[in-house]
Amino acid sequence: MSTSPEAPGSETPKIDSSVSHSARIWNYWLGGKDHYPVDQEVGDQVLAFVPELVRSARADRYFLARAVRYLIAQGIRQFLDIGTGLPTVDNTHEVAQRAAPESRIVYVDNDPLVLVHARALLTSTPEGACDYINADVHDPESILRQAARTLDFGQPVAIMMLGIVNFIMDTDQAAGIVRRLMEATVPGSYLVISHPTTEVDAKAMTEAVGFWNQQGSAPMTLRTREELLRFFDGMELAEPGVVTCSRWRPDVMEVGETADVTHFGGVARKT
Amino acid sequence: MDVARARASEGRDVRQPGAGRSSARLVLGARLRRLREAAGVSPETACKTIRASRSKISRLELGRTGFKLRDVADLLTLYGVRDDAERATMLALVEHTNADSWWQEYADVVPAWLEEFLDLEQAATLIRAYEVAYVPGLLQTKDYARAVLWSGHPATRGMDAERRVRLRLGRQRVLHRAEPARLWAVIDETALRRPVGGGAVMRAQLRYLIEASRLPNVNIQVLPLSAGGHPAAGGGLTMLRFSESELPDVVYLEQMLTAVYLNRPADTAYYLDVLNRLAAQAEELDATAITLERILSGIT
Repeated sequence: MSTSPEAPGSETPKIDSSVSHSARIWNYWLGGKDHYPVDQEVGDQVLAFVPELVRSARADRYFLARAVRYLIAQGIRQFLDIGTGLPTVDNTHEVAQRAAPESRIVYVDNDPLVLVHARALLTSTPEGACDYINADVHDPESILRQAARTLDFGQPVAIMMLGIVNFIMDTDQAAGIVRRLMEATVPGSYLVISHPTTEVDAKAMTEAVGFWNQQGSAPMTLRTREELLRFFDGMELAEPGVVTCSRWRPDVMEVGETADVTHFGGVARKT
Repeated sequence: MDVARARASEGRDVRQPGAGRSSARLVLGARLRRLREAAGVSPETACKTIRASRSKISRLELGRTGFKLRDVADLLTLYGVRDDAERATMLALVEHTNADSWWQEYADVVPAWLEEFLDLEQAATLIRAYEVAYVPGLLQTKDYARAVLWSGHPATRGMDAERRVRLRLGRQRVLHRAEPARLWAVIDETALRRPVGGGAVMRAQLRYLIEASRLPNVNIQVLPLSAGGHPAAGGGLTMLRFSESELPDVVYLEQMLTAVYLNRPADTAYYLDVLNRLAAQAEELDATAITLERILSGIT
């Protein structure tokens, strides 16, 4: 892509297309078209360790859609989606606003490529609202401050953290950030987390992540199901708890071919 | 001209297209490629079977040329497709793709290099564009479009100008139909300040852009002069994306007497990167209406 170096004084924001990029690799695995050859190359190299990752990535997306529909059914109309990623089919606001057009969604990411796509392509119904904020998952105060422009924290909010907590390397720090975000919400709010784990094919996943972390995009970590449970401490987990994404309240149509995938997910209610 | 009137006028000007002719062609081509690859048949062998050149198969599989019933029937046989129902479906698609293009009634003012674009544009679900000299064709008012066409080279003025204007407005249906495409355009400030057709025409054009920018499926970003150098300094470009996952993006680069179409991932990824950088460098979408108002107030 960028065959020539940036000119001195160039004001081009820092979109680096010379190295692979986690959101674009994810887009490649999901069958999107917003990736470059370098992402396909690294994405394929990761798949050489764990070919099932494509299925896991897609199961994670389906989990997102089912979780949002579940939350809408519980009366939730406000969503704080942290770690937006590149737009794909059935983004959070599309699922939510299809069922409840007045839903308000704040997308959070710190990547200029993701943000510019989100602003252009993740657009709200006239009845609802979408906002896009530039913040790092490591900085919950900034997220909460900016999200308050669009969300009413006096009403229940769903905090959506899909495939993002794995970018917080330290588990204590991750638990602290999740706790801080939930502290800002009222009872009746929800937390949704999905996370790659060592529960399925631990050895291959560990090798794959070791390789990933050498490729220049943001480093990430795997966790066990037990560690994920800790993020939901003190909350009321919706059935069936923290499970492989493909088995979290599957739609009837999906039952036939359900296989365990490495991404686990859960939904819990603040009491 | 307001958005509603633009819609009404194009409704009169353009008949319904041969219902998705070009997307059917794209899908048919992609299916033929999958069948060929699944059967392990080389493009060379496929070419021989239909008595055509190597490039012909590639154009067919990319949906860039028309299909003959006999060719497709022979290819299906070669690929081992014997199921009558499957063959009938594919052959019905062929007949469908041979329906007239929406632009046929303007065929006399459509140069050969433009034909494919006119089909592909209507089949796209996302159209990304950067324009440096003019307001993008999909967002032009009738008067502005007429002025653009009249300011062209004298050799092209002899063509029926009003028909060319109507053809251009006909393209805009892609943004206003029941399931419209999304247009994501970055427009250089230069294009917005150049009073093509004079002050009155340009003011109306800018007002129309302000209205169009409020459509849910239209994103307009202004690349201000103050942004300085940028990665598309060479000129405008358009990228078309289709909903079918197997169809690659197509980049369209129009020149004065011809156009370039790119669809190899190595090429299109370069332009995708350019478009991404432009979008990141341009003003945010929220600022567009204010910027357009400011430019409008400066045009006398």
